Amino acid sequence: MKRKRIGIIAALLLLVALPSLAQDVTTITWLSLDWPVDDVIAEFEAQNPDINVEAEQVGFNDLFAQIQVRLGARSSVPDVISVDVPLVSAYAFRNWLLPLDPVFTGDEVEDWLPAAVNAGSYEGTLYAAPVSTSTQLLFYNSGCFDRAGLMPPGPDDRLTWEEIADIAQQMTFDDDGDGTPDVWGFIWEQMVRIYQLQVLPESLGAAAIGEDGLTVDGVINSQGWIDAFTYYYNMFNVWNAAPQGEEFWPADIFETGNICMFVGGPWNIPRFANNADLEIEWGVSRHPYFADGVPATPTGSWHIGVNANTENRDAATRFVHWLSTGEGAEMWWRDGSGDFPAQQSVLALFATEPEFDELPMSYVRTAADEATVNPRPRAVTVGFLEYEQILQNIFQDIRNGADVEESLNLAVQRIESEMAKYR
Amino acid sequence: MSAHVTSRTRRNRKPLRAYLLPALVYSLLIIGVLIVVIPLMWALAASFTPNHKVFEYAYPFSWRALLPVDFTLEAYDNLFARGFGRAVGNTFFLAFVTVFVGGSVNALAGFAFGRFEFRGKNALFMAIVMLTFLVPVDLTAIPRYILINNFGWINTWQGLLIPGLANSLVIFLFRQFFAEIPQELIDAARVDGASWLRVLVSIVLPISKPVLVAAGLLMFISQWNSYFWPLLVAPRQELRVVQVEISLAVGQYGTVWNELLAGSMIAAIVPILLVMPFQRYYVQAITGTGLE
Amino acid sequence: MRSKQQIIPYLLLTPALVLLLVFNLLPTIATLVESTFVMSLRSGERVFAGFANFERIFKDPIFWKSLQVTVVFSLVVNPLQIALSLGLSILINQRLPGIGIFRSIYLLPVAVSLNVTAIVWRLLLDKNTGMVNGILYQLGIERQPFLHSTEQALWSIILIASWIGVPLWSLFILAGLQNIPPPVLEAAKIDGANAWQSFTKVTLPLLRRVLAFVLVADTVANFLLFAPIILTTQGGPQLSTNLILYETYRRGFLYGDLGASAAMLSVMLLIVFVIVGVELYVLRGSD
Repeated sequence: MKRKRIGIIAALLLLVALPSLAQDVTTITWLSLDWPVDDVIAEFEAQNPDINVEAEQVGFNDLFAQIQVRLGARSSVPDVISVDVPLVSAYAFRNWLLPLDPVFTGDEVEDWLPAAVNAGSYEGTLYAAPVSTSTQLLFYNSGCFDRAGLMPPGPDDRLTWEEIADIAQQMTFDDDGDGTPDVWGFIWEQMVRIYQLQVLPESLGAAAIGEDGLTVDGVINSQGWIDAFTYYYNMFNVWNAAPQGEEFWPADIFETGNICMFVGGPWNIPRFANNADLEIEWGVSRHPYFADGVPATPTGSWHIGVNANTENRDAATRFVHWLSTGEGAEMWWRDGSGDFPAQQSVLALFATEPEFDELPMSYVRTAADEATVNPRPRAVTVGFLEYEQILQNIFQDIRNGADVEESLNLAVQRIESEMAKYR
Repeated sequence: MSAHVTSRTRRNRKPLRAYLLPALVYSLLIIGVLIVVIPLMWALAASFTPNHKVFEYAYPFSWRALLPVDFTLEAYDNLFARGFGRAVGNTFFLAFVTVFVGGSVNALAGFAFGRFEFRGKNALFMAIVMLTFLVPVDLTAIPRYILINNFGWINTWQGLLIPGLANSLVIFLFRQFFAEIPQELIDAARVDGASWLRVLVSIVLPISKPVLVAAGLLMFISQWNSYFWPLLVAPRQELRVVQVEISLAVGQYGTVWNELLAGSMIAAIVPILLVMPFQRYYVQAITGTGLE
Repeated sequence: MRSKQQIIPYLLLTPALVLLLVFNLLPTIATLVESTFVMSLRSGERVFAGFANFERIFKDPIFWKSLQVTVVFSLVVNPLQIALSLGLSILINQRLPGIGIFRSIYLLPVAVSLNVTAIVWRLLLDKNTGMVNGILYQLGIERQPFLHSTEQALWSIILIASWIGVPLWSLFILAGLQNIPPPVLEAAKIDGANAWQSFTKVTLPLLRRVLAFVLVADTVANFLLFAPIILTTQGGPQLSTNLILYETYRRGFLYGDLGASAAMLSVMLLIVFVIVGVELYVLRGSD
């Protein structure tokens, strides 16, 4: 009886106390992809009891329209936004993001990879704090090399695209004789995205965009681009060493042995290493380049920024600061997205953590090195979304057999027409 | 009964033609059924298949593509572990309220347009109902979002529900059918002193069951399948609807096909379960009138 | 008495019209008004610009190409869907054993969302792993690129739209067919009309209202179609499926060019309005 009464009193007290408690807690919303954010948020809230973080998660394809509509409407929510880095200039140009320079100390800024700081800045001001970065490696199935009687490359070898073309054709097999290969030689992981393909013309010395950040005529239809995308066209249409059709994720069919090589991100390393059912033998080597050109490896990153119209500026910047530096950044790397960290202090953990001492997880160290040698970030332009999406359509067309020059010229026409509004 | 007798006597006279017509009808129906069913069977089978085997039997085509030969509940387990059940509940609640509250609102308006003569009728119909019917709601989402934002309805049930209650397509549908009802039926009730509301409830609605079913179905399905608006106005996890939850299977570094298809199958089964009982009622309604 | 009568329809209309006014008409007007403004992307400041946005889109070859694609699409998809829906509804209106099962099966696509339909068909139509090509291969027919060829992509979109559209609209026509009193058809039969005559002389005229509804609703639905394009071709290959509403969506929601997007929407609404007006005029009742 007595206990029950105490319980009721406690409940009443709690009811009285709750509203006053609730007033002291600021709730902020964080718009992000479908990453596992719960543990990271719980830790932040434990350390900052006056802030409550609500996650708003959307699919990758919906994030850009979400941001466009909500920030374009000058809405005060979401307070915090995950930003794909090439879009920082577009959002900063539109004054959608809060300048973050006062939030970080000099040491904190220096800890980030310089390329990531540059990419998160627009006209010299930091608008989005780096959280993660990325690089690309060549993944291969050793069994295919055995079958073709070839030697697989080592982790520090860098094949040329010409060698890849040659090997890929020898490792494409039509086992059931139905006219469609069952085992394909090669594919790019993000097969029609500029992130993945920009390094092809760049390896041949061509630029990704004009110096004003808007012009594409004479750039993406230059000889370097035509040569690079003729190579790309041939891979799918002439050598028939890579599958056409819909976009798909090569790791899925790499695991089943249906693709011999793909260029992909380091996120695949833990995936394959932790797959107990994996029956294939695999390895990695450095990102390929053209024999007449220079090594060029894609990089890109996810940043985190604050909505310029937020009503919770203080809480939002505190969260951004926590997630992009020190302990929060380390926790995000361990428990969050699984992407490469953008902080050199966290990257240094790769060298010391015993988890990465043995094969195949030691390939992560190869990737960490590749991330620093020839990183090529995407073009800096306020019209990046237009640039990216139009080129994505064009690459898909080329992959499925459209004429290279004609397609690139169509891209020029379409992108120039969209860029007109920024001039 | 008489229908049976006539057809039997006809069959005796022209046996070949009498068999030929049903045979033609059945073969056309079966071709259509294959087009309808094969995609769904593949999607259903694939939702019970491990992700890496989803496309295994599709090319070259084998019957195994239509049956879950590598049966696993992996996709469904993952989906529900992620909170798909709550999304189903949320969407069901939204669709239910839309059908009953929205349905009443739209039926009243359809009745007014279909059975009354009043000043400004055509102007109101053209300016509000037709115009809003012709405008794709998704493409006017930005001002609507700003409005809802000013109401403070972002991430609320009101924001999800209220903009979708009035539906000009459904008003249009009701108007068309109510206008067909013979005037004598209504006049008789009016002479007996029944109020208009009573006429609507006890005369018009009972004979309009097919259109009520069709309109209810339309509203339920449009709310059940809504995607773009809920994504904008209520992206918070607790308020997610089915289609938004499904879209999360498309990730940055890959699409979990079997989860995408498993979510789609659950999204499809709920309206199907609702459609089936009404469909039986449809048949009864026809045979009931047809055999008299 | 009379004035009381006069007030009733307005009372019945109020809830629906207020909701439509606030949540549909106002946003529509706001969007159309937007077409006469140019927004500074930098500050978000809006400046009245008259017809500048319209001039801009009229000079844009991509706008004209999209309009052309939309016209071809509409001219094919609407007659096709209505003819097939009418045919299907007549088939499932036959009094034959087991017809109830067929009717149930044909309701299935109506319950599946357009998004899901688009995704499933995109997978089925894939060149290498798609089941449609798998079946063609079994039949000894060469693989087809479907959504990846400029010749076939628009047809594939028509197929996807019709997979839902035909069963959906036949549901309405079926409801209309069932509203025809059987004695009317019996009378025609007794008068010696054959099946075709009773269909054209009796059934079709009695279906006029339903068909008017279906024609208008179908025209509008297809003019306003863009979600499946987002999920399948994104307007490609080489803009061959770049329906104008998709271009409108892309300009407004992805590229943030609200002025051009609103101008395209205005042009599109004008076209739809005229076409629907013509359809309603042609199908107007004699009563």
